Amino acid sequence: ASPGSDMISPTMAGLAWRLLLCLGCALAAPDLVLEEAKRTVDLSTHLAKVSAELNLANPPGGAGPAGAFLLALEPGLEPRLAYLGVQVKGEEEEENTLEVRETKVKGKSGKFFTVKLPSPLVPGAKIRVSVEMVFTHVLQPYPTHITQAEKQFVVFEGNHYFYSPYPTKTQTTRVKLASRNIESYTKLGNPSRSEDMLEYGPFKDIPPYSQDTLKVHYENNSPFLTITSMTRVIEVSHWGNIAVEETVDLKHTGAVLKGPFSRYDYQRQPDSGISSVKSFKTILPAAAQDVYYRDEIGNISTSHLLILDDSVEMEIRPRFPLFGGWKTHYIIGYNLPSYEYLYNLGDQYALKMRFVDHVFDEQVTDSLTVKIILPEGAKNIHVDSPYEINRAADELHYTYLDTFGRPVIVAHKNNMVEQHIQDVVVHYTFNKILMLQEPLLVVGAFYILFFTVIIYVRLDFSITKDPAAEARMKVACITEQVLTLVNKRLGLYRHFDEAVNKYKQSRDISTLNSGKKTLETEHKVLTSEIASLQSKLKTEGSDLCDKVSEIQKLDSQVKELVLKSSVEAERLVAGKLKKDTYIENEKLHSNKRQELVTKIDNILDAL
Amino acid sequence: MAEHSGPDSGKHKANHANANSAALLHGRAGAGTGAGGLSGGLSQPAGWQSLLSFTILFLAWLAGFSSRLFAVIRFESIIHEFDPWFNYRSTHHLASHGFYEFLNWFDERAWYPLGRIVGGTVYPGLMVTAGLIHWILNMLNITVHIRDVCVFLAPVFSGLTAISTFLLTRELWNQGAGLLAACFIAIVPGYISRSVAGSFDNEGIAIFALQFTYYLWVKSVKTGSVFWTICCCLSYFYMVSAWGGYVFIINLIPLHVFVLLLMQRYSRRVYIAYSTFYIVGLILSMQIPFVGFQPIRTSEHMAAAGVFALLQAYAFLQYLRDRLTKQEFQTLFFLGVSLAAGIVFLSVIYLTYTGEWYAKIHIPIIASVSEHQPTTWVSFFFDLHILVCTFPAGLWFCIKNINDERVFVALYAISAVYFAGVMVRLMLTLTPVVCMLSAIAFSNVFEHYLGDDMKRENPPVEDSSDEDDKRNPGNLIVTMLMLMLLMMFAVHCTWVTSNAYSSPSVVLASYNHDGTRNILDDFREAYYWLRQNTDEHARVMSWWDYGYQIAGMANRTTLVDNNTWNNSHIALVGKAMSSNETAAYEIMRSLDVDYVLIIFGGVIGYSGDDINKFLWMVRIAEGEHPKDIRESDYFTPQGEFRVDKAGSPTLLNCLMYKMSYYRFGEMQLDFRTPPGFDRTRNAEIGNKDIKFKHLEEAFTSEHWLVRIYKVKKLDNRETLDHKPRVTNIVPKQKTAVLDL
Repeated sequence: ASPGSDMISPTMAGLAWRLLLCLGCALAAPDLVLEEAKRTVDLSTHLAKVSAELNLANPPGGAGPAGAFLLALEPGLEPRLAYLGVQVKGEEEEENTLEVRETKVKGKSGKFFTVKLPSPLVPGAKIRVSVEMVFTHVLQPYPTHITQAEKQFVVFEGNHYFYSPYPTKTQTTRVKLASRNIESYTKLGNPSRSEDMLEYGPFKDIPPYSQDTLKVHYENNSPFLTITSMTRVIEVSHWGNIAVEETVDLKHTGAVLKGPFSRYDYQRQPDSGISSVKSFKTILPAAAQDVYYRDEIGNISTSHLLILDDSVEMEIRPRFPLFGGWKTHYIIGYNLPSYEYLYNLGDQYALKMRFVDHVFDEQVTDSLTVKIILPEGAKNIHVDSPYEINRAADELHYTYLDTFGRPVIVAHKNNMVEQHIQDVVVHYTFNKILMLQEPLLVVGAFYILFFTVIIYVRLDFSITKDPAAEARMKVACITEQVLTLVNKRLGLYRHFDEAVNKYKQSRDISTLNSGKKTLETEHKVLTSEIASLQSKLKTEGSDLCDKVSEIQKLDSQVKELVLKSSVEAERLVAGKLKKDTYIENEKLHSNKRQELVTKIDNILDAL
Repeated sequence: MAEHSGPDSGKHKANHANANSAALLHGRAGAGTGAGGLSGGLSQPAGWQSLLSFTILFLAWLAGFSSRLFAVIRFESIIHEFDPWFNYRSTHHLASHGFYEFLNWFDERAWYPLGRIVGGTVYPGLMVTAGLIHWILNMLNITVHIRDVCVFLAPVFSGLTAISTFLLTRELWNQGAGLLAACFIAIVPGYISRSVAGSFDNEGIAIFALQFTYYLWVKSVKTGSVFWTICCCLSYFYMVSAWGGYVFIINLIPLHVFVLLLMQRYSRRVYIAYSTFYIVGLILSMQIPFVGFQPIRTSEHMAAAGVFALLQAYAFLQYLRDRLTKQEFQTLFFLGVSLAAGIVFLSVIYLTYTGEWYAKIHIPIIASVSEHQPTTWVSFFFDLHILVCTFPAGLWFCIKNINDERVFVALYAISAVYFAGVMVRLMLTLTPVVCMLSAIAFSNVFEHYLGDDMKRENPPVEDSSDEDDKRNPGNLIVTMLMLMLLMMFAVHCTWVTSNAYSSPSVVLASYNHDGTRNILDDFREAYYWLRQNTDEHARVMSWWDYGYQIAGMANRTTLVDNNTWNNSHIALVGKAMSSNETAAYEIMRSLDVDYVLIIFGGVIGYSGDDINKFLWMVRIAEGEHPKDIRESDYFTPQGEFRVDKAGSPTLLNCLMYKMSYYRFGEMQLDFRTPPGFDRTRNAEIGNKDIKFKHLEEAFTSEHWLVRIYKVKKLDNRETLDHKPRVTNIVPKQKTAVLDL
């Protein structure tokens, strides 16, 4: 339902024109009254955190139901506001964040916001809302330059009253300081002071837009660290990894160090350089892996990593302690498993990551650039951010095996605080077939490489002919063939021997005969082949030809021996020969054969 | 019966398989006994041999690459030491601004106020190589940072060196020796010392270029083909662009030709090779801006020209001899010789009077560098281990079976040994030739003993595996012994690499009793402080050792750096360091110094600090300003250099002393020693009450290793303690303005 329809209340039911008017002025809210405003200004860190509890009332007999109310900001403070959040405190103790929109009010300087109420406030009704505001760089160091031994004092200038477009009936302001060491403070209404707390008020019946300068000068040695600029690069890979890299420029924005920096004092006296920053903690996501912390000149060795259940805590120590005005620069990076942050439904993907992550407690980021590198081929990119960000034109990024570049979303935002650590969702579509592109590229590259090598090796690119080398190669080729053939032939005898053995056991003459037959035929083939190769060698004019003929001769002797032994075996089986004589003959044969084979081997080796 | 005929062909195959796998195993062992066994007959020699060679070379490359990674694994991917920082910075400039910008680069951050024309004063080969690799990788969208390219360049090139050493040795001896040589050069400490990951220096690529040039030279002398000679010239060109050591090539090759002539080994091949090489090589080498006209001007290139002329004359005489009668020839010969002698004599006189005797003028600076000291015997063994013992044997083998290319390697060995003896640094040029000759020696030994084994095994009289062992116990013992030596060599190489040559020296590490490691990162802490928290144009004065590091890491202007070309400037800085504060302040004012950086090791006991180098500063300053600085002032009357109370007052009040020990007198390091006890020099300092008038401490690193002082601007003029005299003469308008 639209807010307008909710506004129809019994008292004005009949007046349609009024209703229309209300619709028109629903945002410009009728005259409300602040019954009570309790404001706490927390100045204990380098931020000014203002939280106010407001008791808003639509006075009875007021102009009508209020769908929204106005919040105002003092004119000087507006550029310093980093965060504004309004919540309503319901009876059920649950807190609802309200929608806040910036508006303008005519004739008034400063900044104004309209806060939409969950339900319109009818005249006579009340509502309690709590407002939280964070301001950066409002605490000014005074003196602006201090030596190493001195403590840091800052001045805060604010308003004694809660700045509001509505009259306030009663209001109090409580100022929380960083220490009890207060140099001076404004004493409007005789504020009470206890420890590190100042309490102003209660002030009664304050008209709208009241201003009165509140000024506190006090000691504040909390780390005045500011991230002057930061670039956060998130690179998404569909192979299961998200790489995050943050480049951080850090500066100590407290009172500037004047005079020397003495390492001796810094090491020996505990309160020397009390406002300097030695180290801080950065909390990384629990799944962070392969964390690195480095700068232009290498790894920064002074850091510690602590892996906790729900986070990875990194104690970061810059290379040197940061005194007022000193700055440093570093890069921190880590990998995350993508299943925790990347969701998909078919080709639809959604990346849910923090827009900015924790760097140190109470962090202030003056300027942030976020770059989200999506996989090559991601399309229809759409970003859902929890707060307003400035999108710059998308870029292309080329890295490993990319051909047409990965889309990069670039976004900027200035003046951010811890409250901005929220998720941003990037929706995009990605065709899964594209995943194959990279492996195929690698395969193709290797294919081309091997193919070139093959072509280079197989083809002759020389521009001159070397007949001698060619002949040599031919001969080598033929001899190689001869070698294999001779070895094959020797193998044949072994096969035949096996056949003879089998025959001896089984006494089956057919095995022997068939063995003999195969031996004969194959031997013939091989021998003739060798002979043809021999003749080829001859035509090449190689002297190896003689050696081959020698092999042939030796081989025929071997064959004879083999056949002889088979005949003997036949006779043995037939009982025509005694066993002893057979064994003796066999020994003789085998010795002879051994010799012949050795000779052949030697010739082969010589080849 | 069947048992006998069976094994025949089977054994035949098995033998070869064994030989192959054995050779493979040797290759894997790193020491690489290589292919001693390869020369035995193989059934398919070409295929196996090339596969084996390929595998062994690949493994040698891998072993060489990985043993250079100690520093990266222990610390990080970081540029080491001093000179590499400059090379890195220039490469970075090249990668980010392009080649022409690099050639025209005027570096205003060095040698303030003079600056340095970098493009014209460096050997650009290293930067161009790294830049080219980076460019190609980025063209292929492989986003590697230029720093990583620089860090890993030397290890990658060590593999190329191994391959070119293999090629060269193969030309000289045989393939087996080549493989051994490749394995040696891959892991030998003498070469690793200059080519660990992070040591991004000229030598890393120059040794490859050296070996490859020599290979191509040997090849061209062997073939006499212009093609190979042109390749040789191109490789020589690369070498000239990479390292000043190219002078070694341009002297060794002429020497080779000259000796060949003397040995009556003149041939048409040598003539073609040398004539082509000299002319093309000369022209190519003159294309490097830094070399320019040196090859035709300076004395170290004259030998090449002389040999060229000699070779032409010799060839001409050879030609004439065929045409003339003996009598005519003799008169012509004598005439020619006397003329040549006259010319040589005159040119030598000319050169003596005009030549640049650089070393003479700058001796203190050159002598102050530790790597310019003469080599000790220990370091020969430390860097080369067993190779230093075996390479004479290889040399002997070469000389015994002499041919053209072995003359070359013999000359290479002899000259390299001489140079290595003169300077520790030149150990680097000795290492490759030692590897090659040792490989030849080892290969010969293996061929003899393992080869015998094979022959005796081949007659397979009886099946007798145990008989083999009985037959040649001597062979086996020798082989085992050699393998043991190689193994010990490999172990030694790894140990030396790990312990001596793998420290980045930018990052220091100390070990606790329980083995945990403390990293002392003071250098980078201070440099980074300078980079972040000083004015961009601040000028930092330091001793020249740290110039390149300050420029590279802190990105600030320096007065002097490791490119010690201007002695008087360095002497001025030395003078400032060794003067008292007031005098130093004047020098620093005149040099526009904003910060002074010194290295002080007294807190942690770091011995390479500025106080220990201080005498060199004094000496160099004395060389230029003998009236103001005298070395003897810094010694005690007994002639000792002491920092304690007995030290000379000049020392105790000089700027360097004061900056080193400022507020150190209050510091008590432990309870056994008094406050102000210097751990490096084991003495309680003599001057504990140090006050500065013109300086103030700007930064001191965590372990006090680096201390930076700020030079204060001049104070405002003191206010007058009496009123200015009042006159009733009204000054003119102009003067009034001036007075203001």
